[in-house]
Amino acid sequence: MRQRSGLVTSLVLLCVLALMMTVAVAQPKRGGTLRVAYGNKIAHLDFHTAPGYEMMWVAMNIGCGLVNITPDGEFVGDAAESWDLSDDGLTWRFKLKDEVKFHDGSAADANAVKFSIDRLMDPETKSGMRNFYDAVKSVEVVDPLTVQVNMKQPYAFFLHMLAGYRTGLVLYSPDATAKYSLNDRKKGTPEAVVGCGPFKLVEWVPNDHLIMDRFDGYHVKGQPYLDRVHIRVIKDPVTQMAAFKAGEIDFIASFTPEHVDTLEKQTPEAQIFTGKETTPMIAMMKITVPADGKKMSENRKPHPIFGDIKVRKAVGCYGMNREEIVQIAFKGKATPWAGMNPPGTLDTVDVNDKCPYDPDKAKALLKEAGYDAGHPLKFEIITDNEKAVFNIIATVIKDQMVRLGAEVNIKLVDKVTWMNTALKDAEWDMQVEDLLSLLTLDSNAYLSAVGSSWNQSRHTDMKINEYYAEYAREMDATKRAAIAKEFQEYAVDKLYWNAVSGSPFYQVAQSWMKGYVFNKEFEVHYDTVWLDK
Amino acid sequence: MREYIIKRVLQMIPTVLVITLVVFMMMQAIPGDPIITLLGDAYDEEDAAKLRKEYGLDRPVVVQYFVWLGKLVQGDWGASILTSREILQDVLMRLPVTIELVILAMLVALVIAVPAGIIAAVRQNTWGDYTAMSTAMIGISIPDFFLGVLLLLVFSISLNGFLPSSGWVYWPGTCPSVICEASVGGNLKHALMPAIALGVGRAAILTRLLRASMLEIIRLEYVTTARAKGLNENGIILKHALKNALIPTVTIMGLQIGFLIGGAIVVETLFAIPGLGTYGINAIVARDYQQVQGFILLVAICFVVINFLVDLVYSFLDPRIRYS
Repeated sequence: MRQRSGLVTSLVLLCVLALMMTVAVAQPKRGGTLRVAYGNKIAHLDFHTAPGYEMMWVAMNIGCGLVNITPDGEFVGDAAESWDLSDDGLTWRFKLKDEVKFHDGSAADANAVKFSIDRLMDPETKSGMRNFYDAVKSVEVVDPLTVQVNMKQPYAFFLHMLAGYRTGLVLYSPDATAKYSLNDRKKGTPEAVVGCGPFKLVEWVPNDHLIMDRFDGYHVKGQPYLDRVHIRVIKDPVTQMAAFKAGEIDFIASFTPEHVDTLEKQTPEAQIFTGKETTPMIAMMKITVPADGKKMSENRKPHPIFGDIKVRKAVGCYGMNREEIVQIAFKGKATPWAGMNPPGTLDTVDVNDKCPYDPDKAKALLKEAGYDAGHPLKFEIITDNEKAVFNIIATVIKDQMVRLGAEVNIKLVDKVTWMNTALKDAEWDMQVEDLLSLLTLDSNAYLSAVGSSWNQSRHTDMKINEYYAEYAREMDATKRAAIAKEFQEYAVDKLYWNAVSGSPFYQVAQSWMKGYVFNKEFEVHYDTVWLDK
Repeated sequence: MREYIIKRVLQMIPTVLVITLVVFMMMQAIPGDPIITLLGDAYDEEDAAKLRKEYGLDRPVVVQYFVWLGKLVQGDWGASILTSREILQDVLMRLPVTIELVILAMLVALVIAVPAGIIAAVRQNTWGDYTAMSTAMIGISIPDFFLGVLLLLVFSISLNGFLPSSGWVYWPGTCPSVICEASVGGNLKHALMPAIALGVGRAAILTRLLRASMLEIIRLEYVTTARAKGLNENGIILKHALKNALIPTVTIMGLQIGFLIGGAIVVETLFAIPGLGTYGINAIVARDYQQVQGFILLVAICFVVINFLVDLVYSFLDPRIRYS
């Protein structure tokens, strides 16, 4: 009897100890400074207009929005406590949490939501987010904690857009915006750069560092755990690796894929985050050129080379060995992909079978188009030096084209020159680049619809616009997926948007950095991060 | 001497202005403009047109330059098109970092070059000479960037952070921002690798030059006379010969400042140092015309002033050289 009671006591003690240990291990530690490395500069701090992922990742931590999106694609409330949509899909109503405050103490209420969306939609703001709000008719304040968004037509991706198209919606304080000028905000005056996020801006020195401290009035009690986030701009990947290995940096927000293997060998205990690609790597061909010689003219004629679908198919479909490109450029760490929607994006469809590598078929198509040994196909690939991999891909494509009897020249320029060429309808044949990370196929509309500044191929096929519109308005997920499939098959058949692969994305963290939730490029949040050291 | 100084100072002004004009024209000739960078992935042609008008970028290039010049004579260096920050404030914040780097690099160069050049000359055609010259050849051949990466790999990675890989620590009392680290030891640790990367190449050039100069000087009659008088050999070399041999070296040192500032761009980028170099290269890449003008103006001023000071140093080294 005594033996049995002793055993029971021991078991109970063991359970209590195990429970205590579990609790101890799971409990985030408060305090410390997270040292982050960015590979690129932060453009400026007007979140509604500044470009670049680096700015977005700051905006998500200083600012807050209505909703966020989890890696599983679920929506969770940020400043919004709940939301609903009318049966006709034309009215969204958001109920806000009443404890959400801006860093200046003012309330992030319905008025602030209306102010922020109106600001984004105002052409005078010149926000890159403006086009995403095309479906919004108006915003109304119902009461201080309830805001209503009236739509022109049903928009299936309204929540996706609010959560993760570029910065998502970032709420601005009407008081701070009135008190400080746009320039104050852009140059990073802390009192002007006011958000309702877990961190508040302390200091920004362009091209050097940005510091943000915990906001004690954050509406999620107990968060953030960190005292401070110190972001440094370290452009060179070798320097990033050195800083990481030496323990000078806790987190690299975007790490070059070609150095991942080296970093893994040097720092085996590092946490390496990646996932299915959501950014397309493209070898885009120009479809039309101005018929009247005036750039950006609406009067178009087919590009002398790639205006012919036979040549596009020969080069971009059957003549391009995507497997080989991925093996050489990414050491196999990317997905060969022909579709316009990247492998990790919502409603993506694998259409690789529509473009199998078949050099004989490619040569036959080129012959039909009038190219042969006596009259070889000649074209130029333009790419930029933002990422070393672009030039590698261009070189591999050049080599593959030689096998078809084509002659290719590569023009390597800097990023701004590339943008100037691509966006201003300059002369080019093919370009290699990766573009924005796409949360949904819908978010690609501003990159490829007719009439969009970013429709670099300058195709004039209104069917693309029709597909986008139909897809965005379809509120039934199953029907939407069917539209997406048909759309992607159509797009690969026309090759207006010639994808080569996904563009892989990596983040690297020290072993003591805990609580970070990887959500590809879309969401980089430090509110749940804590340091186990 | 006073007249000479005034004359040189007055000559500096048109020199600097011509430099800014040439650079301004060159920047305008490069494809792209700051509006493309300003809008970035949010680029919209309609917005871009409005912004170009707002910033006066739709005006003729010459008009834009004279608008900038007009503001400059009133002390207004303008604001960055991208960040809206005042140019003068930003360049002055970064200038001390680059100056320190350049001075340290030059010191590294002199610490290597002077003894090596003397040994090579005094021990001509011996192992000492061959070693010094071979080392000089290697030093000239290795690009700053490559040497910087090698130093990083050895001292930061292989030796587990023996020297910091990146960033900057300021001298106590010189912090330009609200939050920064400041300590003498920290500053020197952060500056060491970049200074070596920058300075080694310069040391190689100065070694070769000093050797040639010394070889010429030690064969002159006054040196032979000094030996005949029984003066100590070290004293002859260091006190009598070196001073004259340094004259051409000092000239080259002045010109090397320009190369050091250029090299600082690469080294500062590699080591993520918040100096004028990174400021300048980022401005050029982003096509921020205002920033580029501010950067070039300051660099041009530094360059002409340093070369002026070099000329003044001549009269100290050689009393026969007098300016009137």
